[in-house]
Amino acid sequence: MRGISRLEGKYAVTMDLYPPQGKEFTRIQPFFDNLRQNRFTTTKCKKCGKLSYPPRVICPECLSEDLEWVDLPKEGTVVESVVEEIGVPIGFETPLVLAMVEIPGAFTFIVRIINCKPGALQAGDKVRLSVFEVEPFPAEFGRETVEIARVYFAFEPVDPEKRIN
Amino acid sequence: MRKVCIIAGGMSQWGIRQATLREMFQEAGKACFEDNPMVTNKDIDGLIVASAYTERLATQTHLAPLIAESLGIKTRSVCARVELLCASGSSAIIMAYGLIKSGVADVVMVAGGEKLNTPQKWEAFYSQLCSVDHDFDGAHGLGLPPAALAMVAKLHMKKYGTTEEQMAMVSVKNRRNGINNPKGQFRECIDLNTAMCAKVVAKPLKLYDCCPLTDGAAAVILACEEKAKYLTDRPLVYIMGTGQCTLYNASANKVDWTSWEALRIASQKAYKEAGITPDHIKVAQTHDCFTISEIIEYEELGFCKKGEGGPFVESGQSDFGGKVAVNTDGGLLSCGHPFGGTGIRQAIEIMKQLQGRAMRNVEDAQFGLTQNFSGMIAAQTVLVYGREI
Ligand SMILES: [Zn+2]
Repeated sequence: MRGISRLEGKYAVTMDLYPPQGKEFTRIQPFFDNLRQNRFTTTKCKKCGKLSYPPRVICPECLSEDLEWVDLPKEGTVVESVVEEIGVPIGFETPLVLAMVEIPGAFTFIVRIINCKPGALQAGDKVRLSVFEVEPFPAEFGRETVEIARVYFAFEPVDPEKRIN
Repeated sequence: MRKVCIIAGGMSQWGIRQATLREMFQEAGKACFEDNPMVTNKDIDGLIVASAYTERLATQTHLAPLIAESLGIKTRSVCARVELLCASGSSAIIMAYGLIKSGVADVVMVAGGEKLNTPQKWEAFYSQLCSVDHDFDGAHGLGLPPAALAMVAKLHMKKYGTTEEQMAMVSVKNRRNGINNPKGQFRECIDLNTAMCAKVVAKPLKLYDCCPLTDGAAAVILACEEKAKYLTDRPLVYIMGTGQCTLYNASANKVDWTSWEALRIASQKAYKEAGITPDHIKVAQTHDCFTISEIIEYEELGFCKKGEGGPFVESGQSDFGGKVAVNTDGGLLSCGHPFGGTGIRQAIEIMKQLQGRAMRNVEDAQFGLTQNFSGMIAAQTVLVYGREI
């Protein structure tokens, strides 16, 4: 997985592809800790029952702070997909495969599909969570710079015939 | 409440420019003052600047005072920047409208523009990752370009039978309209075959289905009716109604990708304030960032029934001589799309149409409309303009 280091020394780059992580920088660190354990989770409001995604620290519906982490299905169904050949942001492979994926009982969202044979993905296909390490967060603590490890996720085809391993 | 008029408008050259952001803002401001010599920079009491990527691509924040200084404007009422990505320009017009209507400001320049082509071509695409929900959509590589709209197009084709030919017809029409526009990025006609056989960007979207990356700026002047009467001798064009709606931002929270409820809500509010129905609109500048967008916009703006956007363009209803002429100056597909400039470019064309001095006039247009969506179809902005009768 290429990240921003590709451009080091060549150009002033300030875009970070991934969310801030580490308890010093975010209040939703459990989302990332859970990803590390191959769990796809989000927050649910204990007061009004609203399931939020992205995960929140305050319920966007009733503004309660009484939220709990719940597991989402790790498998979803492709509603529609697209293979992007041009204009793929640097740091992501070309062609970039993106799919609208229905997570049963939760929501339909756009997610990156990795480890997929070119042109193989079709509407109706099952895809599953795939977690990977991304560039660490070089954080300053006093005079020291400490690398905070980070993870992120995509989905991949369940069918081994459609998967590149 | 006071009435608000649009009394002048001008643009810089749009395209891949050998110029910086501030230089293009100067060109647009000068063109705007030249459009109406009765108003000068000394008459302006407020400035609202619309630009989205100024920090990232022009390395400049606190942009409004810099633009004021470069145009000899000394403000008293308002001097600030507004950002709503692709709808930044229209948002700034709504802000200026509200301030003038309520008496906070009298004569306001609204100037918008963008510098998107930088020495490294990837920079603009890279920046787009922060225009969606960066942490939860952008981190999947989802920027603004075609991915989401390609999926929307596929879903619309499946659900309503819209064809790739119908999408291409939007591009052919808007390219044809754009040939008269000296400030636009593209001034060549294309035929249906060229559009259909063009390089695939993200299936089913091909090269001519997508607007380009554009540098450029545009400016308009809004004034309260009382002052407008002294600052122009042209027919007065009023802002009659506005609407701006957002219902969700992240991809996970969208309910229906082919039915744009936010646009229905925004346009119904704007129509209601203007006291009109969609049938009164004879000319409209809509957000044709992709051809499929314009097709869905016909439907949600009420120009045709839901699902009939494809046949609407195919039967010529969105062309000159049809029910409503859409993107008469070439739209984003011809003029290009410097985010902050687009809504202002649209306002200029509607003003000129309603004053009967456009490059090609729609006959007897009394009302006109502008519309933008922004982000990943996350917000919808609509303005209705009308001329005095
Ligand atoms: Zn709640």
